[in-house]
Amino acid sequence: MAAKPTKSSGQKDNFTRNLVIGMVALVVGVGVIFSVTGNQTKVSSKIPTIASEAEGYGLVFNPSAMPVIDIWEDFQCPVCRSFESVVGSYLSQLVKENKAKVIYHPLSFIGPESVRAANAAACAAEESKFDEFHTLLYKTQSTTENSGLWSNDNLVGLGATVGLTSDSFKKCVNDGGFLGWVNNIAADGAKKNVNSTPTVFVNGKEIDRNTQYMDLNGFTAALVAAGLK
Amino acid sequence: MSDFSIKGLQPWLTLISRLILGGVLLAAGLLKVTHPAKSAMAVRAYEVLPVTFANFLGYALPWIEVGIALLLILGVAVKPAALSGGLLMFLFIVAIAQAWARGLTIDCGCFGGGGQVAKGETKYLEEILRDTGLVLLALYLMKFPRGKFSLDR
Repeated sequence: MAAKPTKSSGQKDNFTRNLVIGMVALVVGVGVIFSVTGNQTKVSSKIPTIASEAEGYGLVFNPSAMPVIDIWEDFQCPVCRSFESVVGSYLSQLVKENKAKVIYHPLSFIGPESVRAANAAACAAEESKFDEFHTLLYKTQSTTENSGLWSNDNLVGLGATVGLTSDSFKKCVNDGGFLGWVNNIAADGAKKNVNSTPTVFVNGKEIDRNTQYMDLNGFTAALVAAGLK
Repeated sequence: MSDFSIKGLQPWLTLISRLILGGVLLAAGLLKVTHPAKSAMAVRAYEVLPVTFANFLGYALPWIEVGIALLLILGVAVKPAALSGGLLMFLFIVAIAQAWARGLTIDCGCFGGGGQVAKGETKYLEEILRDTGLVLLALYLMKFPRGKFSLDR
């Protein structure tokens, strides 16, 4: 492998060179193709019942209410946890009282646990317990990202504590029943240029980063301005 | 056998340059290859390309970095690989500089990560200086592509 001043056979070295170039090109080509196609929306993926393709596959609560609140979050994101602690119960109340259309988009770019948690949340949504499970996830969020806390077994156990004890829930979590949906959410987030979590849109417009995210009064004001009764 | 003239050192300098430029590109690529969503987000955060193209670049770039890195490390097609690597670094410098000039507060996303950061957390100068150093290595390799321990020639 050392560079020599005289070559034994130019053809042999050309062969090695071309072989290496070919192999590298193959690795790069295959990698790019898989990466690009793997991160696109797959219309054939199984999605939760309350997910809406028209709303970027988000989980929709109160489809005909106004105003419309889109919430982009990652269950492992610490700021999302803070956000949940500020507005979470208020939002749950709005949903219960049919005062707003709330659409959740669980992103998953922090790591595999985000993917598993989002999948589990979809499984919970399928059994009408999204709100409880959503709250529980943030309550039990690990202090460090990608700590290994949210294995599928642990997620099944967490589900059980809020009444998700069915075999279908367990199977959904363990088999990754909604992984395709999780990917669709991520692809939609990429298309919609969502670059941080949490990101909240009210009637399609992002609320103010400085005053309306981490302050319940500010958040409420944004909703009232958008027509909240 | 020891020849410490510049001419004698050059094959070693070429090797070292290949390993540094290739090593940095390999690390950068491998850290991003398994996090395509984050990689795409990092490119979008520069707010300089149309979203669809930014996403495509985010998905593809890590693999391209790995490819260029492998060629450099193995010492095959060093001149075109160094040209590609140097061009990439130059584009990164331009992208970071425009983010800095426009008052964006982002992480370059060069080694994973990326997206918004707090105002005091930007490392634009450090990132530009590093990439400038890598451009210089690339230029050196384009001038002196032949060196020690290469699979080529």
